[in-house]
Amino acid sequence: MIKTQNLSKNYGDLTAVGNLNLTIEQGDIFGFIGPNGAGKTTTMRILVTLLEPTHGTAFINGLDVRKHGKKVRRLVGYMPDFMGVYDDLKVFEYLEFFAAAFSIERRKRKGIVEGVLELTDLQSKQSATVDSLSRGMQQRLGLARVLIHDPKVLILDEPASGLDPRARIEIRELLRELKRMGKTIMISSHILSELEEICDHIGIIEHGRMVFSGTLADIRPHLGIQSKVRVKVTANQDKAVELLSALPPIREVEVVDDYISVTFHEGKEGDGLIARSLVEAKFDLVSLQPEQLKLDDAFLQLTKGMVH
Amino acid sequence: MSLSWLTGPIFEKELRVSSRRRRNYVLRFAYLALLTGFLALFWLQAVQIGGGNLNQVSRMAEAGKGITSFVIWFQFIATQIIALIMLSNSISDEVYNRTLGLLMTTPINSFQIVIGKLLSKLLQIILILGISLPLLAIIRVFGGVPWIYVVSSLCVTLTAVIFVGSLSLFFSVFSRRAYVVIIVVILTLFVVFGLLPWLSGFLYFFVTGNWPGPRLTAAIFFPNPYGVMTYSTAMMISPMGAGGMAARLWPVHCGIMLAASSAILFLSVCVVRKVALRQATGQTAVRSSKKARTLSESPSKVAPPRRVAGPVVMWKELRTPVLGRRKIRMIIAIGIGLILLGITYALGWFENVLDEKSVHMAYVIIFTAIGMLFTTILPATCITSEKESQAWPLLLATTLSDWQILFGKFAGVVRRCMPIWCLLFGHIIVFSLVGYIHPVAIVHFGILVAWIVVFLSGTGLYFSTRFKHTTTAVIANFALAGVIWALVPIVMLMIVGITQGDIDLVSGLMDTHPFFQAGVAVIGATGSSGIYYWPGMESSDVAESTIWMLACMVGYMLIGWLFMWRAKYRLRRNIF
Repeated sequence: MIKTQNLSKNYGDLTAVGNLNLTIEQGDIFGFIGPNGAGKTTTMRILVTLLEPTHGTAFINGLDVRKHGKKVRRLVGYMPDFMGVYDDLKVFEYLEFFAAAFSIERRKRKGIVEGVLELTDLQSKQSATVDSLSRGMQQRLGLARVLIHDPKVLILDEPASGLDPRARIEIRELLRELKRMGKTIMISSHILSELEEICDHIGIIEHGRMVFSGTLADIRPHLGIQSKVRVKVTANQDKAVELLSALPPIREVEVVDDYISVTFHEGKEGDGLIARSLVEAKFDLVSLQPEQLKLDDAFLQLTKGMVH
Repeated sequence: MSLSWLTGPIFEKELRVSSRRRRNYVLRFAYLALLTGFLALFWLQAVQIGGGNLNQVSRMAEAGKGITSFVIWFQFIATQIIALIMLSNSISDEVYNRTLGLLMTTPINSFQIVIGKLLSKLLQIILILGISLPLLAIIRVFGGVPWIYVVSSLCVTLTAVIFVGSLSLFFSVFSRRAYVVIIVVILTLFVVFGLLPWLSGFLYFFVTGNWPGPRLTAAIFFPNPYGVMTYSTAMMISPMGAGGMAARLWPVHCGIMLAASSAILFLSVCVVRKVALRQATGQTAVRSSKKARTLSESPSKVAPPRRVAGPVVMWKELRTPVLGRRKIRMIIAIGIGLILLGITYALGWFENVLDEKSVHMAYVIIFTAIGMLFTTILPATCITSEKESQAWPLLLATTLSDWQILFGKFAGVVRRCMPIWCLLFGHIIVFSLVGYIHPVAIVHFGILVAWIVVFLSGTGLYFSTRFKHTTTAVIANFALAGVIWALVPIVMLMIVGITQGDIDLVSGLMDTHPFFQAGVAVIGATGSSGIYYWPGMESSDVAESTIWMLACMVGYMLIGWLFMWRAKYRLRRNIF
């Protein structure tokens, strides 16, 4: 659905985006992560035709963003990191204005506007002026505006910034709902734990270059990190450590607090073997769970924290 | 002794920030370039006529007087403009960036904020004034220029600059838009130093039956820097003068101006403190909270949203209230303006001068100037204001074509300018009905206003796409109009004077000038002669004049469309 090939954007000597290659499949939620100034917003602006790339190409649904600007804009809903508002318009007028700007027929507009107001829970605010809304409400209005022309692709730049926890959870649910509706979503955020929960794929960008792109599961081998499991038994923890250390796929066993951390050899896994061995040796197995690599940790390992 | 108690760290901060703003360098460069260019032309004009050495020496004194008065007047006007522009966003920037409330959480007080801002800008203007001092000292060698004239003029200039700067700073508390502040200050100066003295003279005559005597006239114009400068220059140039009266008048005038500035600054300090405290405590919009309370108390008062109809950008532009958000204040201001205007008509009627050509020319020129003022400003704001509020990318991310956006903006500008031009057409139509002005003037002014609107909208839209900030775009559009209709004719006149060239070229240029066209059209249509006196042509009749005005309209409109085409080309550049 979204594809970039050697996409570059230079501002004089500064390379905001350099040879960026990116592919997002239809129906995916793609989390776009990077330090401040890494090139996320620039990439998004190129994809929504607001900026011209210096080199390379970008495609939305097979359409070159340079050549088919108008068609691309019809396909894409863009929510910038800072949403500008028209002071003099009311919420309903604001949304209808953008519906008209996307050439939606007048007789259909009212229903569509009411639909997105309901989806974003803004019905009670439809007669309020846009500038009187709180930050959270304005973010919701931004999302409502993005959805007004029913785009196939949503490009959302920091949609949850400045929101309270409840509003964040609501937006997360809304994004899941949109995914169910078949939308392709590209989302940037600094709140990595949130992206971790909703994204199918992530891309980590630094200095305008993609340092990682794939699923969360792909990060571990990418970083050369072996699979780990946490084992918890009721008693005889030392004997359990001895038993597990002797198992062939296991490289390292150590006690951390009240559980045992087991590291497998590269490419090996054996949750079943561990469970079976412990049960057969009459240990009371309380829990056995794979140790997740946190997106925050991956991000820290993949990026150097340098900005332009 | 340190002056930090007076300004706090604001003074230094402002100087540092000013040194990083390109606009300030452009202003200084433009000032110097204009001063140098005009001086060169003036000098050439003064020395190009031949003659013997004795003749040359005697004329040097005259040239010295001319150049001195030119430099003095140039810096008198230019420094006021610079002060007006520099201080037009001094407080509003702090309000908009939400740093004013932040300053209130520090030991800095509102007095230091106001004085720090004013002094930092004044320092730069004093430097500009200082540039011309060596020049004035050299010219004095030619003789004929009394020291008192130079000193008094500099003091009058400085106090006028302080007054204008204080006004600009005061109004910048109330408006985020620098151009609004600029307009309000210009209108205030026009009312205070133009309309009110004129009206008070007329009222005196109306009450007593006599015109004010020399003492009363002096008292009316005493606090008026423009009056004092005119008087002072006349005294210097006249052989009887040498600054006798001016020497006594100017210190009192400067004292009055400083007192008025202090009063404005005192008000500014009070208002800044109020706004800053409101921001520091989170009450950023008193109006909004009041409105919200009203709405929550009576939901039935909420007007239903209006449906979008017709071309979308045009709808949005038309949705913007003509009177702005502060309707009551605007209605009061407009009401006062109309009452003052009505008084002028009433006085004209009592004086039985409403059938005189010069009276109608004065009205028409003033109304054309006001119309042009707004037509220069509004198109230059319509795209930059969206850039500043960051709503512009949202509009560009829709499927609207560039022409749809541009024409929508153009239609919005025309609609918002219309009420202002109604003053001009109201005057023409009313006096056509009365029979003082021939109805053909309606056609002529229709042509004139049409091309002014298209031309200035085209250039304004272009600058609005070209620049990021509204103030820059507005200044650029003003500068273009100033270059075309003021600078070029003056320079051409000077060149013709130096080269003894053909004056017809300048006269022909003046025939395309909007004020000349307005003047010629109204004089031709007033009375029964029906003759139109164009500077570059023989006297012509209605048909010839109409054809000429149509030709000018086509030319200017083509240029306006050319600018609009360039605006379309630049629409998607400099978005962020």
